[in-house]
Amino acid sequence: MRPFRLGRRAMLRGAGSIAIALPWLEAMRGPGTAAAAPALAQRFLAVYTPGGNVVNNGSGENRWRPTGTENDFTLSPILAPLEAIKHKLIVMDGLSMHSAQGEQHQAGIIAWLTGTTQQGNGYSGGPSIDQVIAGTVSVGKPKKSIEMAVRWGTGKSHGLLHPINSANFEDNADHSPIPPRLDPQQIFTDLFGTLDPNNSDEAKARIERKKSILDYVDRRYAGLAQKLGAGDRQKLEQHLEKIRELEKALESGVVPSAICQLPEPVDTSDYDPATGLNSSDDGSIVNTTTDAAIPKVGRFMIDMMVMALACDITSVGTLQWTDTEAKHTFPWLGLNQHHHFYQHDGGFRPEECEQICTWYSGQHAYLLQELDAVSLGDHTLLDESVVFFGSELADPPSHSKDDMPFLVAGGGGGLRGGRFLRNDALADRSHNNLLSGMLGLFGIDAPTFGDPQFCSAPLSNLK
Amino acid sequence: MPTVTPAGWTLLLSALATATATAGCIGEIGEPSGPASSALSCDDEGAIFPGRSPLRRLTRFEYNNTVRDLLGDDTEPANAFPSEELGNGFGNDADAQSVSSLLAETYSSVAEAVALRATASPEALGRLDPCAASITAATDTTTELACATSAIERLAIGAFRRPLADGELDELVALQQTIRQTSDFPTSIAAVIEAVLQSPDFLYKVELGEPDPDGSRFRRPTGHEMATRLSYFLWGTQPDEELLEAAASGELSTKEGVFAQASRLLDDPRSRPVVRFFFDNLLPISNLSRLERDEELFPTFSAPIGAFMREETQRFLEHEIFEGSGSWRGALTAPYTFVNGPLAAFYGIEGVEGDAFQKVPLDGTQRAGLLLQGGMLAGTIHSNTTNPVTRGSFVVQKIMCFEIPAPTGEIAEKVKPPDPYSGATARERFLQHSADPTCAACHRLMDPVGLALENFDPVGLWRDTENGVTIDASGGVPGTAITTAGPVELVTEIAKTESVELCFADNWLNFAYGRTLGAEDECTTERVHQAFLASGSDVRALLLEITQTDAFLYLPEREE
Repeated sequence: MRPFRLGRRAMLRGAGSIAIALPWLEAMRGPGTAAAAPALAQRFLAVYTPGGNVVNNGSGENRWRPTGTENDFTLSPILAPLEAIKHKLIVMDGLSMHSAQGEQHQAGIIAWLTGTTQQGNGYSGGPSIDQVIAGTVSVGKPKKSIEMAVRWGTGKSHGLLHPINSANFEDNADHSPIPPRLDPQQIFTDLFGTLDPNNSDEAKARIERKKSILDYVDRRYAGLAQKLGAGDRQKLEQHLEKIRELEKALESGVVPSAICQLPEPVDTSDYDPATGLNSSDDGSIVNTTTDAAIPKVGRFMIDMMVMALACDITSVGTLQWTDTEAKHTFPWLGLNQHHHFYQHDGGFRPEECEQICTWYSGQHAYLLQELDAVSLGDHTLLDESVVFFGSELADPPSHSKDDMPFLVAGGGGGLRGGRFLRNDALADRSHNNLLSGMLGLFGIDAPTFGDPQFCSAPLSNLK
Repeated sequence: MPTVTPAGWTLLLSALATATATAGCIGEIGEPSGPASSALSCDDEGAIFPGRSPLRRLTRFEYNNTVRDLLGDDTEPANAFPSEELGNGFGNDADAQSVSSLLAETYSSVAEAVALRATASPEALGRLDPCAASITAATDTTTELACATSAIERLAIGAFRRPLADGELDELVALQQTIRQTSDFPTSIAAVIEAVLQSPDFLYKVELGEPDPDGSRFRRPTGHEMATRLSYFLWGTQPDEELLEAAASGELSTKEGVFAQASRLLDDPRSRPVVRFFFDNLLPISNLSRLERDEELFPTFSAPIGAFMREETQRFLEHEIFEGSGSWRGALTAPYTFVNGPLAAFYGIEGVEGDAFQKVPLDGTQRAGLLLQGGMLAGTIHSNTTNPVTRGSFVVQKIMCFEIPAPTGEIAEKVKPPDPYSGATARERFLQHSADPTCAACHRLMDPVGLALENFDPVGLWRDTENGVTIDASGGVPGTAITTAGPVELVTEIAKTESVELCFADNWLNFAYGRTLGAEDECTTERVHQAFLASGSDVRALLLEITQTDAFLYLPEREE
């Protein structure tokens, strides 16, 4: 039997609601007012889009940057789709990803969430921030974190995991890259299969069987690990750790409620999640049918990600809109070359890049609005979250990592949206300080995050 | 000898991070790998250099084949596993294999599904053990337990690819009995299958080894571990009965015994899927069936033609390696290919009808060998315009194993690829590559190959002109001063280089050993290189030689 677990949300709905609600009101009060510390952020989402933004259209014009002041600003054409959620959004301009050292694109996606340089093995030199946050906020949840990717593994990675497409890294000694989930139908079954009301006694019996099986498997790994040399032993122990996660997940089920609902199923039979395996280095293999389904699949994944948080399946997620190769087409925008081609493979084409970036802004607006539509009583799911939107570089033709086009949204930990931060007055504009600043919103005290040489102090202007 | 990194750019990364921006390609070509720092040289009497042997996990390809042979499950269930690490380019690099939560989760769900299928009917159960087909609710407990024990023993021996150690069977039977208390017999057997398929003994190629009978300080794989090495290398699946018998009889404890079994496996048709898998990963062909081209510009090309091109290349290679010259050099220059009716019509070859592939001679004026097949030429081209850089870089990096670093630092800032719509021919469009010294450092290696292939359009068909201008297909062999006048001369000259042969050997070494070989493997690499060159680049000899090295026959000292 699964032990009864009183969810945090049940507490919010019950006796604790007033006491817990207060800090959220405090958070709205703004700076300069003596107040209790705001409630810590509870959820973290990272959203990756490839190839930076149009921060220089070739004539020196930044098509991404808003105009105006911190509290009174107008969104750029590219960011205009986010207008409706602007009040919960920080446009975080002016930071540099100093730690992105290595291959131009790969070092960028690796540095984005880790703040470390590309190492000899091609990957990161530390964990990604989402995994560190998950170590705090996902404790007791069925899944530590959920990584999803749309149209992933394009170009040179041939559908396989590689520094080209890895954003998330384990918080363990190896900092192993974490492969994302790719198949929307499989994600649906894996995350929400147990919400099916038809599963009852048989589901319970199956969980009991799984426990016995994993118990056996656990012993095999533990036993064999002892017989092997150090490197191999570590490999099996890493595997064992993941089996224990599975064992723990069996103990904690998902309970449907007014908030936790089965996402609307979507027919994605026209979308081949493994099409990356058929990719060619230069993007010459085009799968138009799958590419045409990207908007639909992206929305479906967003819906599932939002419900994964609402259902307390996890508290941490990452959504990758493709990888740094970005070698897929955009039939719904009438763009029949791949994104990398418009970035620089075919010579920089700012108009096409702008079209793509604007579309991504619209998708991000949808995610934020969906999070904001989940009411937790006195505040929304977005209000207790931190949502970090970024890319592996700023300017596609030069691969520059200055003036990174970052967005930070939500209200968790006192994060204060509705602002445009230029950050140009800061002495040190390192993006590492943003990472440590975001950790602070979760109550994780990290004077530095990532490679310390790129850190000075956690960014303090998030609140 | 070029710096050897067949996977192209994986190893390169560390070099990139420290390379000075202007170093470009100069100085990285033509220098040998650093010598292994060892007191002993490779040729010293009694010197053994096993290299590293990290624990290897079954790849998706191997998992699919193994459950097919172990349980008759041909659904390719491992395709549901999360993406493998690219690593050495074949997805089997042990040093790149890590375990994510998602992988553990999918191992569990896939094992459950496989187990369900394997116990779905009395007939299915009977395949596990004949006794299991007739177990019913009326069967007495003693009979049922005896049958369960027998079925589980057969399953575990097969899945673990070795005899069971004391207590291993008892532990599995205990699991079955626990489940049986609350479930029916098939469900209890399914639970055991589900457990076995998640065990390290199944998922990993565990090698504990045994002392060297010849008394060296190194251990050697046990007979069964050697059977597993041979079988996965040459068949991509678990050992067959004969190999297990050879393991049990001690035949595999000698180098000669290993050679004999390797020869048998290689000559068996079951080795063909591995050779196919190797080429599918090395060459740009696995995806040709999805190649899309503008229908108006290339009205005769279609996705099925792409699929036929892949088949052309695979048929050709299989024939040349197993029935033709048997040599890699031969494959690069052979004056024939394989086509079926539709593909022949596409190429303009007369006299071939129907869907069956047949061997056809080439006159050697336009095409010869592997590199001038339609699939190679179409599969390396992006979109509807040819690009000599992508074609050239494929030959230079994958076929000759020269490292070409991606533009970085200051160079990257300067990179402005040509507008594909300017200039009548590719040679004009890419003129800046030779004009600008910054670009030329690398592009002098790639462009002369790519430009020499300009007689082939984006779907791999011959053309004499581009935009009304006669194509100049002069080119050169990378890393040499040799210049060539056309595509056939280019591939003929490329095939004569040692780089091409050593590169092929290195690709096979990385694939066979499930690693990315480096400087510390010099003795093994050198030995295989010499044998391959001496054999006249005989592919069969190469594959057999790979089973005769210290790396294959010994295990490294255990890391504490």
